[in-house]
Amino acid sequence: MTYEFEMVGIVKRFPGVLANDGIDLAVRTGEIHALMGENGAGKSTLMSILYGLLPPDAGEIVVRGQGVRFASPIDAIAHGFGMVHQSFKLFNQLTVWENVVFRAEPRRGIVIDRATARARVREISARHRLAIDPDAIVGSLPVGVRQRVEILKALYRDARILVLDEPTAVLTPQETDALFDVLRGLAKDGRTILLVTHKLREVMDVSDRITVLRDGRVAGRLETAATTQGEITQAMTGRNVVFEPRKAAGTQGQPLLEIDGLGVGQGPRPLVAGVHLVVRGGEIVGIAGVAGNGQSELVEAIVGLRPHHAGRIRIAGRDVTHAPLRERRRAGLAYIPEDRAVTGAALVATAAENLAMGFHRAPPLARGLALDHAAQRAHARALIQRFSVKIPSELAAVGTLSGGNLQKIVAGRELAHEAPVIIAEQPTRGLDIGATEFIHRTLLAQRDFGRAVLLISSELSEIQSLCDRILVMYEGRIVADLAAGQADEARLGLLMAGAAGSA
Amino acid sequence: MAMPAARRLASRVLSPVPLSIVAGLVLGAVVMAATGNDPIDVYTEIVRGALAGPNLVYTIGWSAPLVGMTMAVALPLRGGLVNLGGDGQLVLGGIASVIVALYLPAPGTVRLVAALAAGIGAGGLYGMLAAWGETRWRVPMLISTLLLNYPAKNLASYLVNFPMRDPANGMPESHMVAVGARLPSLPGTPLSSSVVLMAIAVAMIIVFDRRSVAGYELRMRGLNARFAGYGGVDLDRQALWTMFAGGAMAGLVGASIVLGDQFRYTDGALVSPNYTWTGLMAALLANGEPAAAVVAAVFFAALQIGGFGMERATSIPRELTSVLQAIIILLLASRSGLRRLGLGT
Repeated sequence: MTYEFEMVGIVKRFPGVLANDGIDLAVRTGEIHALMGENGAGKSTLMSILYGLLPPDAGEIVVRGQGVRFASPIDAIAHGFGMVHQSFKLFNQLTVWENVVFRAEPRRGIVIDRATARARVREISARHRLAIDPDAIVGSLPVGVRQRVEILKALYRDARILVLDEPTAVLTPQETDALFDVLRGLAKDGRTILLVTHKLREVMDVSDRITVLRDGRVAGRLETAATTQGEITQAMTGRNVVFEPRKAAGTQGQPLLEIDGLGVGQGPRPLVAGVHLVVRGGEIVGIAGVAGNGQSELVEAIVGLRPHHAGRIRIAGRDVTHAPLRERRRAGLAYIPEDRAVTGAALVATAAENLAMGFHRAPPLARGLALDHAAQRAHARALIQRFSVKIPSELAAVGTLSGGNLQKIVAGRELAHEAPVIIAEQPTRGLDIGATEFIHRTLLAQRDFGRAVLLISSELSEIQSLCDRILVMYEGRIVADLAAGQADEARLGLLMAGAAGSA
Repeated sequence: MAMPAARRLASRVLSPVPLSIVAGLVLGAVVMAATGNDPIDVYTEIVRGALAGPNLVYTIGWSAPLVGMTMAVALPLRGGLVNLGGDGQLVLGGIASVIVALYLPAPGTVRLVAALAAGIGAGGLYGMLAAWGETRWRVPMLISTLLLNYPAKNLASYLVNFPMRDPANGMPESHMVAVGARLPSLPGTPLSSSVVLMAIAVAMIIVFDRRSVAGYELRMRGLNARFAGYGGVDLDRQALWTMFAGGAMAGLVGASIVLGDQFRYTDGALVSPNYTWTGLMAALLANGEPAAAVVAAVFFAALQIGGFGMERATSIPRELTSVLQAIIILLLASRSGLRRLGLGT
């Protein structure tokens, strides 16, 4: 058995953190290898080293038996690596072939040889059954296809080793299956795939072998065929995680969030059109859908961050259709936004300052026009403790926290409002298993407390395990309203892809 | 808990300052040595010119308007709003206060207070106008504040050239303000009591910034405006009042100069010392933090006044201190720019 590449004894230290502590990673030629681990386990650091973005403090990289040293991604590409990042690196206004050949254009003299470029792109696409039209404008393509453009880009550069970073985060189940078919084909073709992910089911589905990282070390090397989800989870977390079945819904109360005929944007293709929805106290209603089908716009309109052009909004019985954001919050709305770093927090501000937002105008934080700094810090300490945020002090800037801890700051602050309506948008995106579990438990507790929770998530498993009712959004409209029991993954996937009538 | 926030702030704002100043002084020394002067002598004269005996009073007198114009920029900058309209707000403050001080039929003290209020209000409303343009019509304040300087300056210029002109004078100037409507000078000094007004205003801004609910909201806006809006801050209203406050500060400076130093409005006299743009530098260097901005403004004032002393005592023109100021600003700005990049990654 030959190894396509090996990373041997990789050590990387950052101030105060040992991110990689002697990691060995060996990937065989032609296999699909999964690299797993919770956030902060050292996956990203290891991948940055592999791709020449960071120099290791110790250890070496061996590619096809040869020791190599990557000073930059250019070196890594020259040695046959191709990286598909989580956020695509594409020019949306350009065509597929222009994206693919960029910086490696076939030339005729000083001009680009367009005919050759298109022919080669077409040929690679056909050979690997990627089904991509070279002349399509990238921005007009669905996310799943854009991802295949990234793969095509790597293959055009003759990548023998494809590294994919959380590739399924933005895909529907059907798109995920299509991606895995492509990956299997590439592996059969003799190419090597390294899949960085935290999704157990997918790893079980597609990978041959698994390397699990925990706290900067290798916590397990597993053959997929001979392992179980439980074993992988234990390696990742170092403990047994019990996936509790969802507790049955409690008694449902009054409608607390009522949206009637909401529309955002005008013209032939509005961002949100005619949305009706009601969330009662004591239930979690989920909105499933592929990212970009109007969920964010719907939420922003409900919250008051974006103007809407039609419809009415009631929160806890109060009509807030034309009320500004602050009035809606006062009426009883808490909001955990999709992008915690851009909307939910000021990264250079302290935890105390971040946690004070929304509490800062009333006692005890405010004393008249003055802000009581001692009360502000006490408030922050209490929330940090209640949500077990790992932070050196309430005066540390929240930009230094990991994604999970930052999310706890944002979620903790919003839940502390004890508002009757909670909107949680992608609340566990990018979080590890432990933090995800915590957020899920917290949302369920809110529901059991009689609050109305609207959950927007692109993770179907999250929607399925938490929600009492599931709405599916497609092209700005709610195309289905299902009770939790009626919604299996295949059906949801079809609805998310726009197959409204047939489901 | 000995004010860790303040310490953090101080270390952030001040740490590159000594280094940049020293480096600036060394570079300046090289220039002096190259032109055949003894750097030690020259620096001694600058320090003496700025601080020794009566010179200290001049430095304070020069600092007061400069600190005021620094605050006119720093306060909006704290919320991420850029006020380039200092000249316009300053001039309108000056002309409004002189109109009231000259023509309001009331006893002197009442006239004085009304004139100050008119100056503050005129500057404030003019600042607010730019904010209104942005919140209502999406005209970027970066452009509108700058462009609004021209109508203000030209209006004031027209007024003192024609309807308000003192014909007894060769210059385009208004009549003199009656003695009873002037700001009194501080006993035993040539300084106008506007220094005290300015100190009070600055103290209020610092307390506002550190202690008030609205100051917290403004700082959060400066760090992440979307976050502040998400948290319930009414960003439009906040922009209007913040720009009112910044403009009011500039208006107060205009009124103070007119009522406390010159006792009349002379065309161009408020803008020619360049308080606005030196103040902009000081505010930008301090990143809007008010206490640090005051320190920067006073330092520049001392350097400029020290330059006069140096010119009197040596053969070196005082432009050298402008060169020094420029070198120090460049060094400071490049350092803070680098730091910001470091934070961003």
